[in-house]
Amino acid sequence: MSAAIYWYGWLIVISPLVGFLASYIAGRKYRITAGIIASTAIGLSLVFSILTLLKINSSGQPIYNHFKWFFNIDAGIYIDHLAIIMALMVSFVSLMIHLFAIYYMKDDPNKHTYFAETSLFTAGMLGLIVASNLVLFFLFWELVGLCSYLLIGFWFFKPNATAAAKKAFIVTRVGDLLFLVGMAILYASLSAHISVLGANSPLSIPYLITNAKAIAAAIGPTTLGIVSVLFLAGAAGKSAQFPLHVWIPDAMEGPTTVSALIHAATMVTAGVYLVARVFPIFQASSSFALYSVAILGSFTAIYAGILGLVMNDIKRVLAYSTISQIGYMMAAIGLAGIIGYSGVAYGIFQLVTHAFFKALLFVSTGAILIALLELRDIKKMGGLWKRMPMTVTLLLIGAAALIAFPGTSGYFSKDTIISASYVYYLQGGNIASLLPWLFLLIGSLLTTLYTFRMFFLVAMGKPRSDLAEHAKDPKILPLIPLFFLAAGALFLGIVQPQFYGFLYPDYVMPSLPYYIQYLPEVLMVIGLVVTYFLYATDKWKKLHFDKSPWYKIVRNKFYLDTLFTNIIAERVIAPVSAGFGAFESAYNKAIDSIGTGTVGLGSRMRKLQNGIVENYFVIILIGMSIILLIMILEGVL
Amino acid sequence: MIILLLFSLMVIAAIASFFLKKHAFVYALGVSAAVLIVIVFYSVLRFHSGYTGGYISTFTYGLASKIGIFFSIGVSSFSDALLLLSAIVIFVAVAITRKKDYVPSIYSFMILIEIGLFGILISRDFLFFYIFWEVVLIPAYFIVAEFGGKNKDHVSLKFFVYTHIGSVFLLLAIFTVYSFYYIHTGIFTFQISSLMSVKYFAMIPTTLKYFAIFGFLFSFLVKLPSFPIHSWLPDTYETAPYPGTVILAGGLSIMGGYGLFGILLPVGSLLGNTVLYILIGLGIISLIYFALSAMMQYSLKRMMAFASAAAMGFVTLSFGAGILETGIEQPLELAGGMYQILAHGLIMTLIFAALYFINQKAGSDNIYSLGGIFREMPVLSSSLLVGLLASLGLPGFAGFIGEFSVLVGSFQAIGWVIILVIFAMIITASYHIWAAQRSLYGPYNEHLGAIKDVSAAQFSILLFMMIAIFIFGIVPNLYYGSFLAYLGALI
Repeated sequence: MSAAIYWYGWLIVISPLVGFLASYIAGRKYRITAGIIASTAIGLSLVFSILTLLKINSSGQPIYNHFKWFFNIDAGIYIDHLAIIMALMVSFVSLMIHLFAIYYMKDDPNKHTYFAETSLFTAGMLGLIVASNLVLFFLFWELVGLCSYLLIGFWFFKPNATAAAKKAFIVTRVGDLLFLVGMAILYASLSAHISVLGANSPLSIPYLITNAKAIAAAIGPTTLGIVSVLFLAGAAGKSAQFPLHVWIPDAMEGPTTVSALIHAATMVTAGVYLVARVFPIFQASSSFALYSVAILGSFTAIYAGILGLVMNDIKRVLAYSTISQIGYMMAAIGLAGIIGYSGVAYGIFQLVTHAFFKALLFVSTGAILIALLELRDIKKMGGLWKRMPMTVTLLLIGAAALIAFPGTSGYFSKDTIISASYVYYLQGGNIASLLPWLFLLIGSLLTTLYTFRMFFLVAMGKPRSDLAEHAKDPKILPLIPLFFLAAGALFLGIVQPQFYGFLYPDYVMPSLPYYIQYLPEVLMVIGLVVTYFLYATDKWKKLHFDKSPWYKIVRNKFYLDTLFTNIIAERVIAPVSAGFGAFESAYNKAIDSIGTGTVGLGSRMRKLQNGIVENYFVIILIGMSIILLIMILEGVL
Repeated sequence: MIILLLFSLMVIAAIASFFLKKHAFVYALGVSAAVLIVIVFYSVLRFHSGYTGGYISTFTYGLASKIGIFFSIGVSSFSDALLLLSAIVIFVAVAITRKKDYVPSIYSFMILIEIGLFGILISRDFLFFYIFWEVVLIPAYFIVAEFGGKNKDHVSLKFFVYTHIGSVFLLLAIFTVYSFYYIHTGIFTFQISSLMSVKYFAMIPTTLKYFAIFGFLFSFLVKLPSFPIHSWLPDTYETAPYPGTVILAGGLSIMGGYGLFGILLPVGSLLGNTVLYILIGLGIISLIYFALSAMMQYSLKRMMAFASAAAMGFVTLSFGAGILETGIEQPLELAGGMYQILAHGLIMTLIFAALYFINQKAGSDNIYSLGGIFREMPVLSSSLLVGLLASLGLPGFAGFIGEFSVLVGSFQAIGWVIILVIFAMIITASYHIWAAQRSLYGPYNEHLGAIKDVSAAQFSILLFMMIAIFIFGIVPNLYYGSFLAYLGALI
C-alpha cells in the first residue's frame, strides 16, 4: 500500500516538533515568545488534524503512509477514525492548556523550557496517535513518558518534585517493559508463521488489526491472550491503572498545567488508546484478555474512588478521580468482549469528554492555586465561590460533568458505560460478569462523594485561611480557554450518537429497564445530598474518622506505596544491590590478591638470590640429594 | 586503497606527534578530525548503498609468504561502523582534553590507540590482528599509568596484566587454528577468512577445537567485558583520566564485540549449544549483576563503568542467542548486538565527556558531593541527562535499536527467561534516574559555590555526540541494513 504521501498527516506531528525547537531557541532570548510559538505550533496541528479529518471523510479510507525503518520493522502514519478523533482532542485540549499556561507560567524564569517540553510532549502524543507500527508507537510512548518525567520535575529544586518524577519514570517503565515483552512474544510468534505474516511487518498496526483472526488462529488464542495482557500491563503503567497507578498522585508536584495536560487529559489516556488501537488483537485472543481489561478498569474505578475520598490535597483528589475515570474507559473497552465493538466507542467517548472536563477542572484549579499561592489543602480553603465566582463556576461545571450530572457531557459518556456494563452481565450471564457493573455503579456514587466533598469544601462555607480570605478572580483574558473547555464539558453530549456512529457505524445503545437505567442518577443525588449536608456546612468538622482503622488503611492508600517503596525498593532491591556491590568488591579484592600474591611470591623468591654462596651450595646439595633419593626409590640406580 | 593510504598516513602522523610540544593539541585535533572526515566520506561513498556483504577495499602484500604472513586488509560494513565509532571517540577524547592538565604525550597515545583500533578492524590477517590488538593496550596502559587518579600504578598494572592474559589465550588459539590448517591443507596462512572457515575449523580435533574456542572467547570476553572476567574494568575506568575513560569505554570496548561478531561469527555454528547457552547465561548475568552492582556506587564514574559493562551484556546475549536461533529472528538478533556495540560506544563517550566537564567545574563526580547542579549548569546537566536516558535504552536514541532487536529477537532462544532481562532493564532505568535525581536535581549543594556552565566550544562537542546518538536512534538503517548484508554473506 504505497499511497501518495499525505503531508498534512505528517505535519500533525512535525509542527509541534518544530515548535519544540523554535520555542526553546527563541525563548532563550525572549522568554515571552516561547508560549506563543508553542501555542501556534499546536494550533497548526489542530488545523492539520481538521484537514486530515476532511480528507478521511471524503475518501472513506484511512491514511496509511509507511516506509521501511530497519529490518522488517516499518514506520509511518496510520490515521483512521479512531486516530483522528484522538488527534483532534489532543491538539485542541493541548492548545487550550497552552494558552492558559501563558498566564499560569508568566512569572517562571524557565518558561521557555516549559513550553519547549510541553510542545515536545504534544508532538509525542500526536505521534503516538498516528504511528503505524507498534515500535514507532513505543518510541512516542516513551517520549511522552520522558516529557512527563521532565515536566513533573520541572521545578527541579523541589525534592518532592524530583522524587515524584523519578517514581513516575520507574513505575511507568515497569509497564513499558512488559509491553515490550508483549511485542517480543508477538514478533517471535508471528515470525514462526511466515504463511500468516507474508511480507508484512510483524508489528505494523494496520496489519495486526486487519488480520487479528488469522493471527489468533495461527499462533493460538492463548498466546495472543498473553500478548494482550502484557500490552494491558503497559497500558496500566501509562494510564495509571491498579497497581501501577501509584505515580500519578505524586506527579501532582509538577505545575498544574502539566497535571492538566499530561496527567489528566492526554498522556494518561494513552494506555486506553493502546487497548483501543489494537482492540482486534484483544478480541481475537482468549476471552480472559478482555475480561481482565474490564475487571482491571472497573476495579481501578472503585479503588481510586475510595482513595479520593480521604485526600485533602485538591490536586490529589483530582488525580485519584482521573485514575478512577480512566478505569471507566478501560472497563468500557473490556466490556466490548461481550457487547461488541460499541464498547470501544463508549470508552473513547468517555476519553474525549473526560479530557475536556478534567482539563477544565485542573486548569480552573490552577487559577485558584495561583490566587492561593499554591496552597493545596482543601480544608484551608472555603468560601471561594464568593471571592472567585468566575473560576469556581468553571470548577463547578467540570465537577458536574465529572459526576455525570444529567445534561453534561459526562452524563452521556459515563452513564452509557454503566448501562453497558449491565448489558454485559445480561449477555455474559454469570456472576463474574456482574462485577464490572457493581464496581462501576458504586464507583459513580464515590465519584459524586469525593468530587463534591472537594467542591463544597473549596467553594462554600467561610474561608479557613488568610489566603482564601483574600483570593481574587484572575482577569477574564486568561480564562477564555477555560470557556472553550467548559463549553465542551457541557455540550459535547449532544454529538453522542454521531460520535459513536463515526467510530462504529453499527453501534447499539444499551437499553435497560428504567430501575436499572436510573440507578446511577439516584446514587448521584444521594451523594450530592450527603456531601451538601456535610461539607457545605461546618458539620464535617465534627466528623472524626481518624480513630477508625478503616480510615487509617485508606489514608495509607491500602499500603501499596509502602509495599512498593518501603518494602520492594528499600528492603529488597536496595539491600540486594548493596549485597551485589559488596560481593563485587570482595571479588575484585580476591582477583587483586592473585596479583599481589604473585608479586609477593616473586619478592620472596628474590630473597633466595642473595649472593651468599654458602646458601646456594646448601640448596644445590638439598636438590641433588632429593634427585638422588628419587632415582634410588624408582630403582634407576 | 584509500584505507591503506589513510592508515599509513596515520602511522606517520602518530610518530610525528611525539616530537611536538606546544602544538600537540592542535595537531592531534587536526589529525583526528581529518581521520573522522575521511571515514565519514568513505562510509557514505562505499556503504551507503550497494554493499552486499563481505570485504571491500582489500589489499594484500606478502611479507613472508612462505610461512603465511601477509599484510592483508579489508573493510566490512561492521568494521566500517566501528571505524567510524573509533574515529568519533578519539576525536572527542582529543577535543575535550584540557591542555594544561596533561603533558602533550597524551595526544600521541590517543593517536596510537586510534591506529591500533583501526589496525584491528581492518586486518584480515591474524598476525597483524594480534599485533594491533596488543598495540592498543600499550598506549592505553600509559594513559592510565601516567595520568590516572589514585592507585594508578596498581590499577594500570592490573589492567595490563588482566587483559594481557586474555591476549595470550588469543595467541594460543590463533596458533592452534594455524597449525591445524597447515596439517590439513599443507598451506601456511594467517588469513582470517581461511582459518575461520567452518570447513577447516571443524577438522580440528575436539579438545583442541574447544581450546581454540575457549581462547578466542576468553580474550574477547575479557575485553567486552563479561561477568566473571571483568575485574579490570571498574577500577581502570575509575582510575583512568576522563579522556582515557572516554577512549576505554567508547573505543576499547569495541574490541571484544568486534572479536565476537567480526572474527568468531563465521564459525559460530561450531561452538555447540552448551557454549552458546553459557554465553547467553553470561550475558544475562552480566546485565543483572552489573546493574545491581552499579546501583549503590557513589562515584558517577564508577557507576557508569558498571553501566557500560552491563550494556555489553546485550552483546554477549545477542551473540549466543543469535547463533542458536533460526528463521527471521536470527539476523535481527545478531544485527541488534552489532548495533548495540556501536550505540554503546557513542553513548558512553557522551556520558564520560559530560562527566569530565562536571568534574572539572564542580570538582567532583561523587553523587553526594553534587546535588542540584542543574540550577547552575542547566546545559551540562541536560547533556548528561540525555546520555543517561540514552544509556538506559530510551527509544529515539541509538541504544534502543540494539536493545530492542536483541530483546525481541531473543525470545525464540530463551523464552520466558526474557523476564530476567526485563528485570535488569528496570534496575538499569532505576539507578540511572536515581543518580540523576540525586546529582542533578534537588536543592543546590551550596558547598560547590558558584560554578559556570559549559563553554560554547565544550557544548558543541557534547551536542555533536547527542546528535550522533539521536541520528543513529532515528535512522538506524544508516548501518542496520548493511549489517544485515554483512550477516547475510556469513550465515
